[in-house]
Amino acid sequence: MSLFVSSYAAAIVRVVWSSILASVTVSVVFSVAIVGLIRAGELRRASRGGTAVAYTVFATCALLVCAAAVVYGLILVGEKN
Amino acid sequence: MSVDVILVIVVVTALAFDFTNGFHDTANVVATSISTRAIGPRRAVAIASVLNFAGAFISLKVADTVGQGFVDTHVITTTVVFAGLVGAITWNLMTWYLGLPSSSSHALIGGLVGAVIAAEGWSAVSGQGLVTKLIVPAIVAPLVAFAAAWLSVLLVYRIVRRVRPGGVSRGFKLGQVVSGGLLALSHGTNDAQKTMGVITLALVASGKLSAANFHVPVWVVIAAATAISLGTFTGGWRIIKTMGTKIISMDAAQGFVAQTAGAAVILAASHSGYPLSTTHVISGGITGAGAAKRLSAVRWGVAREIVVAWILTLPSAALVGAAIYVIANLFGHGDAGPIVLSAVLGIGVLAVFLSARRGRGQLSARGGATALEATQP
Repeated sequence: MSLFVSSYAAAIVRVVWSSILASVTVSVVFSVAIVGLIRAGELRRASRGGTAVAYTVFATCALLVCAAAVVYGLILVGEKN
Repeated sequence: MSVDVILVIVVVTALAFDFTNGFHDTANVVATSISTRAIGPRRAVAIASVLNFAGAFISLKVADTVGQGFVDTHVITTTVVFAGLVGAITWNLMTWYLGLPSSSSHALIGGLVGAVIAAEGWSAVSGQGLVTKLIVPAIVAPLVAFAAAWLSVLLVYRIVRRVRPGGVSRGFKLGQVVSGGLLALSHGTNDAQKTMGVITLALVASGKLSAANFHVPVWVVIAAATAISLGTFTGGWRIIKTMGTKIISMDAAQGFVAQTAGAAVILAASHSGYPLSTTHVISGGITGAGAAKRLSAVRWGVAREIVVAWILTLPSAALVGAAIYVIANLFGHGDAGPIVLSAVLGIGVLAVFLSARRGRGQLSARGGATALEATQP
């Protein structure tokens, strides 16, 4: 019984921290990507091409991280049951 | 012959439940996208419908576990399944009519538990199963989603505060399309399978399938996927309105975060083998996203009504399930009870739909239609 309770509580704790961590990470990284893309556009219009490229690369990396999170989510959907 | 008639009634009732599950829970995955205008209502519901259909084919393991852990599955008969389904459909229709998002899964389990209690007594129900698989997740899930969305919105607002709001809004609306799609797929894998499990359970109870060789037949998979998909396509606009506009008036960033937090909690819980309700999670996420802006942004009266509906789901569905079982047996142990009750249920469902349509017409005539209603097909 105590083994059941401890493994059950452990599952709850795992769900709590992993879901908060995943939610915060994806939201923050996606926000950073949006800010990067908007800044890149502004810099391009201000003829500061070099910095604009840096922002674009930065935003693309952030979007790739989000895409990886979505793919991981799809894998979990496939195997969760 | 008698068993065949009851079986047909049970299968049709299960598919009717699946349909109500689809239109009842459409709001979970599309309400935020529609209310922030990330995607048009018709397109949002159509995409959710297709992804629900696809999700139903991804895995069948949930279908194998319906009822397990809550009740002694050996005591389940076709009449018990029928009574449980009627209990769940009744609760789903009532909450849909009132525009309250409640858990279809809890309604189904409540209906089955009530029917089993009426048939075999309390000893056939597992109290530990109910606490660990239903009550604790119902408390924890919305709180975790609330916390995840609250913290995420606080950080997101800090990050985007110095850039053009128009660009930020467009970016988050695009993100919502993806996060909403993931939610719809996840919903399909969970909820359609519950109906598949119920139909398979009825096939086993009627002796059409061997309990030793428990598997979900292909026609059951296709029928359940189609029913939930059609239900989703029909769209439960009353609940979409509650989830999308009544709890909070959300912007695109809040909508994106609420969906992302919802998907994260559902996937993390499923990965840990921890069952929960998508309705509870998304409602918690929306409320958390609103509270992060300011506490008064959340209409706590609406949130309270939703929580009351959650608390009442299990006992109400159980009461109806038990009553239906008792009434069905008043007609004897043949097929007369389920035939009469399914006819009454059909008339009741029709009356509720007609009443709902009339109510919507009166609301629009008084000029009380909201922006969301104005955009609905």
